[in-house]
Amino acid sequence: MDKLKENQAAYYPGCALLTIDRAYNNSSKLVSKKMGIELVELQNYNCCGIGEMKSKGAVSMYLPLRNMMLAKSQLGSKDLIMACSVCYHEFTRSITRVRENKNELVEVNSIFKEADEIEGEFTPDGEARHILEFLYNEKGVDEVKKNTVKSLKGLKVAPYYGCLYSRPSMYTFTDKKPNLDNSERPRFMHDFLEGMGAETVFYGNEVQCCGGRNVVSDEETSFTLCSQTLSKAKKAGADFLVLICPKCAGALDVNQPKIVEKFGEDSELPVVYLTQLMALAFGFSKKEAEFGDMISDPLRVLKEKGF
Amino acid sequence: MALEKQEKRLVAEKGEHIIARHLIEDDHIKEEKNLVIDGVDVSGRWNTFITTRVDSEFDRAFFQEIKETVVGSRINRCWQCGMCTASCTVTPLYRRFNPRAFIYMMQLGNLKELKKYVDVAWRCVGCYKCSQRCPKQVNPAEMMEALALLIKKYFPEELEGKLKIDEEVKKIYEDMILGHGRLDLAKLHTSSMQKMGKTKDLIGKIERDAIFKMAKDGRAFSILRLGKPHNWGKSKDAIENYLKNVKTIENEAM
Repeated sequence: MDKLKENQAAYYPGCALLTIDRAYNNSSKLVSKKMGIELVELQNYNCCGIGEMKSKGAVSMYLPLRNMMLAKSQLGSKDLIMACSVCYHEFTRSITRVRENKNELVEVNSIFKEADEIEGEFTPDGEARHILEFLYNEKGVDEVKKNTVKSLKGLKVAPYYGCLYSRPSMYTFTDKKPNLDNSERPRFMHDFLEGMGAETVFYGNEVQCCGGRNVVSDEETSFTLCSQTLSKAKKAGADFLVLICPKCAGALDVNQPKIVEKFGEDSELPVVYLTQLMALAFGFSKKEAEFGDMISDPLRVLKEKGF
Repeated sequence: MALEKQEKRLVAEKGEHIIARHLIEDDHIKEEKNLVIDGVDVSGRWNTFITTRVDSEFDRAFFQEIKETVVGSRINRCWQCGMCTASCTVTPLYRRFNPRAFIYMMQLGNLKELKKYVDVAWRCVGCYKCSQRCPKQVNPAEMMEALALLIKKYFPEELEGKLKIDEEVKKIYEDMILGHGRLDLAKLHTSSMQKMGKTKDLIGKIERDAIFKMAKDGRAFSILRLGKPHNWGKSKDAIENYLKNVKTIENEAM
């Protein structure tokens, strides 16, 4: 496979984005291309471990780092961009750990050697980057403003960052590096949305948890947390809850009918991805941004608002 | 909005206003209805006392064991400030979920105490607020994972009871990730619903609507195309080999 050219970046889609969350995947690619960076998909990538493999020693680090190795050998890129916050957490966690503990790096490398699939040893010199942070730092808000052809004026949005985009800063280095977001009060998504003309509302649950990790095994907790977030955003007058993580979508969007059934209409609020709204503002159609994929039906509200 | 049901009562419970009351046994709380000390009337909640207790059933080897895991390596740094519990997402829902207390019990190796919390100990949602705010970088969020591992090792009988769902869902994840290299979200959803005995919900209206929607827009079929990473077999063998030789808590439990 060809190495990356200028204005291209290595992109790790993960398991959710190629299947049920294609809305996030497609719109991320459209938006990045419009802003001047083409996302090149990594081939033969594997699952990041989704936090369920931490009991298995170095395996939990091998899984994400194998993809970092692939990015280097396939595309010649040290860095890897990803749109899923859970993947982002797993990657940053593994990279930080092997940087700090040399013996863990040795263990991971022993699995690499045993597998004998990718040449060379792993060296933790690259970074995993979240697409929001990547676009913000590489292109900036001005680029978003420049590309906005259809202002989102009239839309009230509630940005929802969730947990793993900004926390914990021991792995993500938020607060510690000046070009990264604030861990308790992130603002990158606010800046983007306001740059496109939308109005952001303050509702107090921006960095709350959706209970995503236990969404399968502990629905009760997840539903309670989600209903709090959804109803608070709705009360603050938001038309949309805006996400940057497919796991949050699983809890807040796919499960929303069940949450509404249990907690009532207060929790009924359309959920969209940030990149979908960006695609809309950049002049792409609602079909291209795949708004119809969301279970919580954002199309109805968009129609009401005249989009 | 606590999920644990609280029944209505008229009379205040013993030691009710103590924060984290569940950590103290009834016998250790002294409350007098009417009490005057040195001519000062201290009736009511002002005269609550907690008697000293002696704990002797420790297993300090437990501490070392946690320290050696990937997730629990920073346990020795904790100085019990309680910031983790104050920040916790789960504590307001389950009052008995108290990360500070769990870490204390783990440091002491007090298995007898820990066993009382088997039903809530696995409920951490992994939001990492505690790890973010911890002044000593203990990483309590991952410590809760170490805890879940250890209670599975020391109380295997609970795997058939209170920990059954957590364990079975974890197994599904592991089989999929190690076996295929990628996660099939549709299969994950259906098989975990089945394991939890919610097969009935799967044919309910909400689920049916979602499946119909995904079949209509084609996403249901993209799941079939996800496939395996090329050459995953090599990684799979290497991982299995590694797990055979390495000492993890799970290996020892088996």
